[in-house]
Amino acid sequence: MKLSLSQPRLRDWSSLFLAVFLLLSSLVFMGLKVRCDQISRGRIPGSAIIYIPSGKYLKYATFGFSSVLADLIYLWAIQYYSDYSISDRFDHLEHIFSIIAELDPRYVDPYELGAIVAVYEANNLNLGLKILDLGLEKNPQEWFFPFQAGQLAQLRKNYELARIYYKKAMEIPGAPDLVKRLYAFSAFKTMDLETSLKTWLEVYETAQDDRVKKIASNHLYQVKAAIDKKVIEEAIGRFREKYGRNPYDLNQLVRAGFLKEIPKDLDGLDYLYDAQTGEVRTAQIWWKR
Amino acid sequence: MKVKAIALNTFREAIRDRILYLLFFFAAAAIIFSRLLAILTVGDRVKIIKDVGLASLSLFGALMAILIGTGLVYKEIDKKTIFTVISKPIHRWQFLLGKFLGLTLTLLVMIGLMSLIFLAVVFAHTLRLEPRLLIAIVFIFIELLLITAVAILFSCFSTPILSSIFSLAFYLIGHTSWGLETLIRKLRPGPWRMLAQFLYTFLPDLENFNFRTEVVHGLTIQPKFYFYSGLYGLFYTLFILTLATIIFKKRDFV
Repeated sequence: MKLSLSQPRLRDWSSLFLAVFLLLSSLVFMGLKVRCDQISRGRIPGSAIIYIPSGKYLKYATFGFSSVLADLIYLWAIQYYSDYSISDRFDHLEHIFSIIAELDPRYVDPYELGAIVAVYEANNLNLGLKILDLGLEKNPQEWFFPFQAGQLAQLRKNYELARIYYKKAMEIPGAPDLVKRLYAFSAFKTMDLETSLKTWLEVYETAQDDRVKKIASNHLYQVKAAIDKKVIEEAIGRFREKYGRNPYDLNQLVRAGFLKEIPKDLDGLDYLYDAQTGEVRTAQIWWKR
Repeated sequence: MKVKAIALNTFREAIRDRILYLLFFFAAAAIIFSRLLAILTVGDRVKIIKDVGLASLSLFGALMAILIGTGLVYKEIDKKTIFTVISKPIHRWQFLLGKFLGLTLTLLVMIGLMSLIFLAVVFAHTLRLEPRLLIAIVFIFIELLLITAVAILFSCFSTPILSSIFSLAFYLIGHTSWGLETLIRKLRPGPWRMLAQFLYTFLPDLENFNFRTEVVHGLTIQPKFYFYSGLYGLFYTLFILTLATIIFKKRDFV
């Protein structure tokens, strides 16, 4: 009888002991975890990246979960490229984003982010454009990639490249009107004035609202003024060669046979001429018309 | 003595398991294959050998712990041999501890053999002994102890297949839980952040036993980190074994 009473009591005590031990051990290991985290470890951040095989081969190892893996690598890449303590983090930028491209070619965000990181952070325009080219290669129907490439090239003041990309974007169905305007703008910047004038004229004629019409009109004014100025300044140059001085006014260019007539700006106003310097300018500022 | 008898018996039983030798074969093949992989690289070949070798030790060791550990208690229940054991004057915690120590001994032998092959392959390449590699191996073993405890815990109340899946999940969580730190940084102070903080502290962090990068790259490790990591492994293992004992005690075999 004594034994039967003491056995359940012993069992209760052992259960209580186990519960207390469980609690204590959990508190201890949690405390140790905090302690471990406080000790800095010498890491080589991203050292394993170079061992990630090409996405082409990695795709076979995902067992149909390539999109999920692409998501995970993308999430990891965002954290990785936000870590400014990794000085050589840009070394494998192309490799990482090409892996994501292979795993999920239609995932647009990584191409965009990769290109932005390459241009803004790594200061490598060519790499950024390469990533966006890859995006276009995988998604030929997406005007966004050449558009973004044009934007980045424009940002770096490489208008020749920007123009090429905007042209590509324009040719893809669904591209917004803005692309054509940017193409016209970059053509102007590369001094292809004829193309710029022609494109702005198209924009003006096809504009759906007054705001765009006004923008196109202002740019047409600017481009026409640039063409006219070029013609007038060439005539002034020839006049100077012949007479050794600048003409007193622009009409002298007509009288001397260097120009058939003095061109007027888009609003029918005369260009202003400074006989001292030989400089020709418009009567109004193009974007303030 | 009772624990020792169960442990030795578990060891004898485990070394008869064919799956152990299959895994050992694959581990040895992977370690030797690392030499061939190294040929494909440009630059430091020894790094590839060390990386692949240590990864094989860790991965195949974990598979051994999981695949054998998950069946240890379940088999006893399934074959009804548990009735014979619990009818003897033996506590259930002694039974579980014996099982744990038996599998630990098995893993010690297996990791020892695999390490010999690994160190021999490294030696054949570098012609020098690298004792620092032993640090990484010791902590791989500590990690395996924890996984063994987890496998035994699941084996107390689940089938071997489910236990294996749960243990693998534990392994994966353990190696990715550090990612929660990033999430905590992004969360605003509040209950979600507190929950994330708790999970981060409570969930296993098996990266605390991962010294592979440091050892391969020759980075300095603070000695106190070994100490705290070792203690962390010990207490986490004790926690899991206590939990297993509580669950096993609650089971009614009559």
